[in-house]
Amino acid sequence: MSKILLTKAVAARMAEPWRRRFTRRMLYGRNVDRGATAKGRVGLAIAAFAVVYAIVALRLVIFAVAPESHAARRSGSQDAVATARPDILDRNAQILATDVRMPSLFGEPRKIIDVDEATELLTAVLPDLDGAEVRERLGSKRGFVWLKREIKPQQQQQIHRLGIPGIGFLPENKRVYPNGAEVSHLIGLVNIDNQGIAGIEKWLDGRGLADLHRAGFASDRQQTPIELAVDLRVQHALRDELIAAADKYKAKAAAGLVVDVNTGEIISMVSVPDYDPNNPREANDPTRINRLTTGVFELGSTFKALTVAMALDSGKVTLNSSFDARVPLRYGRFNIHDYHAQRRILTVPEIFTYSSNIGTARMALSLGVEHHRWFLKKVGQLDRLRTELPESAEPLVPKRWGELNTVTIAFGHGLSVAPLQAVMGINALVNGGYLIPPTFMRRTEQEARALATQVVKPETSEKMRYLMRLNAEKGTASKADVKGYYVGGKTGTSEKVVGGRYSKTKLLNTFTAIMPADKPRYQLLIILDEPQPLKETFGFATSGWNAAPTAGKVIARIAPLLGLEPRFELPPAERLILARGG
Amino acid sequence: MLRLVNLAVIGVLVLAAAWLYEIKYSSTRQAEQVAKLRLEIRRERDAIAALRAEWAQLDNPDRIQILARRHLTLKPIEATQFDSLDRLPEKPIDIVPPGTTDPIGALIEHMVDPEVVTGGVPDREASQ
Repeated sequence: MSKILLTKAVAARMAEPWRRRFTRRMLYGRNVDRGATAKGRVGLAIAAFAVVYAIVALRLVIFAVAPESHAARRSGSQDAVATARPDILDRNAQILATDVRMPSLFGEPRKIIDVDEATELLTAVLPDLDGAEVRERLGSKRGFVWLKREIKPQQQQQIHRLGIPGIGFLPENKRVYPNGAEVSHLIGLVNIDNQGIAGIEKWLDGRGLADLHRAGFASDRQQTPIELAVDLRVQHALRDELIAAADKYKAKAAAGLVVDVNTGEIISMVSVPDYDPNNPREANDPTRINRLTTGVFELGSTFKALTVAMALDSGKVTLNSSFDARVPLRYGRFNIHDYHAQRRILTVPEIFTYSSNIGTARMALSLGVEHHRWFLKKVGQLDRLRTELPESAEPLVPKRWGELNTVTIAFGHGLSVAPLQAVMGINALVNGGYLIPPTFMRRTEQEARALATQVVKPETSEKMRYLMRLNAEKGTASKADVKGYYVGGKTGTSEKVVGGRYSKTKLLNTFTAIMPADKPRYQLLIILDEPQPLKETFGFATSGWNAAPTAGKVIARIAPLLGLEPRFELPPAERLILARGG
Repeated sequence: MLRLVNLAVIGVLVLAAAWLYEIKYSSTRQAEQVAKLRLEIRRERDAIAALRAEWAQLDNPDRIQILARRHLTLKPIEATQFDSLDRLPEKPIDIVPPGTTDPIGALIEHMVDPEVVTGGVPDREASQ
């Protein structure tokens, strides 16, 4: 074929007159075969067009395969201005917080024909709408204005029927808390844009949810719910009893905490007065702070448990050791008295059950200032305790820690800690010596063990359990002893500092209970802020008369919920202590 | 020959176009269906969420407690009301053996003791 063409071309060239041949040579060069060049060019053109068509075809296939990516993006931007949050559930999968889609009302001022008429119609349907403000917003030159966030579906229907041009609705996710104030301090709340501003809600945002929001991905409700360790039933029982107690003893505030001793899970946390997270305005009231994590307090005699455990753990003091509590301990210009003064030499169990200030102070002094400080540091009382809750408070530790500090801190004055922190410390004293950081999330015993540090010996822990039990049988905690649950406990009454002096009438009463005391599973802490003496309490306002009976009532209610088996055949603690040889 | 091929090609082209149209049309319809179902699913989910929220609100222990106090005579449970299973008394012996077709007859049979003959009966017969 090419040969024929070539010969043809040669023949054609031969046939050409010389002048034309010359022009062609000038134009295309010598010995250039025009036919071959043209063929090559046509081939190139075919290839180019083939590529273009291939691209077009490919694009068509791509469009056909993914036809809705564009549409989906458009509809996604239309709904859910306030982004979705995962549901929060309690340990029995009861809903504590969830999202409900609510319409929000907006206006497009440029499309509105008659501002006055629109305002009048809208305020008729929504009476709580400020007429002047609506008129001003609709009269502005902007393209989009919010009129009211989160209206009711019936109101949406009514406004829709009015048929005002330039008024529309956008569905938004609204956070609702079906249990109201019940779990308020624990889960916190969100602002109008569904961003967490307190509690677990804020913690959720800190875990990357906020970034998701900003990227616009978190508009769907397909997010795995968060399961907390809290038990709504226990929470309710505790809150109910605390409100009743605050009312009965005319206390300014009350707080309670139930913690799983072996895992550190916070089963319940109540601090009344609290707020309804559905009504965020209440949450800013400073009297409604969470006293268990954001407040620090001198916890009084509850701290004696730590002092006694320190002494027993050091090995220098045994249950049979005794300390002189005959006369008040004079220290500088301070006189340390006993509230339940015995005026004799007391053994360690007696010091604990009579809650002797002199005895515990002498006990701490016998071990030395440095040891005391080292031990409290070890059980986490001197550092800020951080949990999932963003709110936390730093303990108030004396800057210069002298002997006087050791004397007072031994019975719980002069060192202010967050109550949750003290609970963590006492947990370690009774659960076999493991210091486990408390958590609001679910946690198994194995996970807790992996996190735990051994702070006291298991034998010390065992002794502490029986001391607590002994206290409930014959000591200050007897009013909290609910028959059948083998409760152990320690009362604490501390005088609040008013104007630089300890006040005799303003008290902060605490009660720590463990149940069952032979193998603790739960710890309960009750705090009453400034309870008043009553006729029924024979004019006493100390912890044994108000916090302890409150704890008893709470235990009677929550023990069946927590699955504690009542047992009536257990021997008294004194025999158990003796059996262990002190 | 060539014309026949051309005609056949045109015929195939028309058929292909018709087929493509059909596919395109049905795919559009199905895409619409998908979008509609998606919307429906989302609405259902929203409705479920709203109902669950309402349920949780109705289930709130505080509310239940108020209702229970008002309408029920029940009282909080006490520790003494619990007992363990092994302290349950033995189950009484079945009088009627299981599987009998005539339970009343079996009951009567059980009541009439065949071994003990009451002293009075033969005596009375003897006196008559």
